[in-house]
Amino acid sequence: MNKDHFCEVVSKSMLNGDTALIEFRCPEIAQNAVPGQFVNVASSNFLRRPFGVASVDKDTGTFKVGIKIIGEGTEELASMEEGDGTWVLGPLGNGFDINGEKFILAGGGTGVFPVNFLYEKLSSEGKKVKVVQGFRDKSQIIMNDPSYILTTDAGDAGLKGNCCDGLNTLSDDDIKDAVVLCVGPMPMMRAVASWADSKGLKCSVSLEQRMACGIGICLVCTCKIKAEEEGIPFEHKRCCKDGPVFDSKEVIW
Amino acid sequence: MSERLFVKVGDTFLKSPLILASGTCNMGRELSEIYDLSILGGLSSKGLTIKPRAGNEGVRVAECKAGMLNSVGLQNPGVEHFIKYDLDFMNSLDTGVIVNVAGHSTDDYIDMVKALDPHKDKIDALEINLSCPNVKEGCMSIGSDKTQIKKIVSELRKLTDLPLWIKLTPNVTSISDMALAAQEGGADAVVLINTMLGMAVDIKTRRPVLHNNTGGYSGPGIKPVAIRMVSECFQVLDIPIIGCGGIEDAKDVLEFMIAGASAVEIGTASLVIPDAPVFITDELEAWCEENNTDIASLTGTLKLW
Repeated sequence: MNKDHFCEVVSKSMLNGDTALIEFRCPEIAQNAVPGQFVNVASSNFLRRPFGVASVDKDTGTFKVGIKIIGEGTEELASMEEGDGTWVLGPLGNGFDINGEKFILAGGGTGVFPVNFLYEKLSSEGKKVKVVQGFRDKSQIIMNDPSYILTTDAGDAGLKGNCCDGLNTLSDDDIKDAVVLCVGPMPMMRAVASWADSKGLKCSVSLEQRMACGIGICLVCTCKIKAEEEGIPFEHKRCCKDGPVFDSKEVIW
Repeated sequence: MSERLFVKVGDTFLKSPLILASGTCNMGRELSEIYDLSILGGLSSKGLTIKPRAGNEGVRVAECKAGMLNSVGLQNPGVEHFIKYDLDFMNSLDTGVIVNVAGHSTDDYIDMVKALDPHKDKIDALEINLSCPNVKEGCMSIGSDKTQIKKIVSELRKLTDLPLWIKLTPNVTSISDMALAAQEGGADAVVLINTMLGMAVDIKTRRPVLHNNTGGYSGPGIKPVAIRMVSECFQVLDIPIIGCGGIEDAKDVLEFMIAGASAVEIGTASLVIPDAPVFITDELEAWCEENNTDIASLTGTLKLW
């Protein structure tokens, strides 16, 4: 099945100075994407750029991605406006396992976008969900909801501290038998994984690596994962195809 | 499929001149979910070694103008695993099965060919990789020395009747000397070219983007170099050439064939537009109809000034 779709931008907003939220029309992606999956978006740069799906609307056949400007490719894509279009390959990657009834979501950086999709999906299914978001300071806060536990390193909004400080405010009842799903910068995910481990909770993280194809054919985006076979120190698994979601205990940080 | 796209590389029949290049299609599984690979002339496996290789650590890709650098470093599951789990799958795709053979020493290549030869009924050609720039020993260091090329090819020639296609590196002073050495060793064809050695620098950290420091440059930026090398080698070789380097559309394929290629490999294009060969096939068929010609008749029709 060809997963490459020409998608039109149906809405666009700037969330802060350097991050755009773009809604594309694509019924196939809206229908089939699961939280944790990503799309690989073409620009005039040579390679596509991968973005985690932030939201889907099956009724309107649209989906959203968050684009933080970090270079030429993201700058061009973040400048797209309603009516513009580009080629989007997706949905790609494995996505989170969301079988279960009770979840703790932790998001930071651009990880707040997939966490938003997780929250949207899990809460619509009536599952118990607690969300913790961590940002550097007030100016960075995006995709926030009043029900979330908010933390900032600067302490100018929400709780002063990092994501783990936010997680520590959860009650024993919130924590018991919950599954932790985390998307954010590597140090944050490592800390959240360690927190989950200390509470005896299963934790999945979504890894990020420089990518090319997004479909598992070029092997440039590999991550170090504990090997299944004994005697081998680690395996290089493809972030795009075997991941991006991995059990935190498999990850070699 | 139009018979107008039938080509031969030496004695090897291919139903299309389009072959997926090694390292840009894995073993075919992922792309077979996207389009029907039986439209292709062939598919060249991920570069294989005797033992599994984890490949290089850290950042392995750097985008650049008109292409990209990679330093994967021959990550592969090893030839034994390939024979057990991938070879039959590749055979089921109803396209030419090319197995890309890499190694660190002459002995490695010999062991590889010995391991693959018993499965020759499932293989259309062995592509001997004397050109990967991302490993410390073997590959490119062998492929940039004409004496070693001739020696290794003649050793392998004794071990198998399978067609030996020698994939050469452009990172040499004289590509035609290298191609001639492959021919003298008994090669059935040469594949021109593998990636060009390159580097990208992060100006903030003043470090190379790639943790291997250098990598192989591929994509449309290398196409003119590849075509020049195909043309140069076509002037002196008796064996056929498979062209490779930056092909993105039918016009690129035609250029390579006119310059002297009997078939071509599509590589980096698949990483950007996975089903690019579908469009290219359609365009080539239409071009052949329009010009009332078979694609094979184009090979080497370049009229040099």
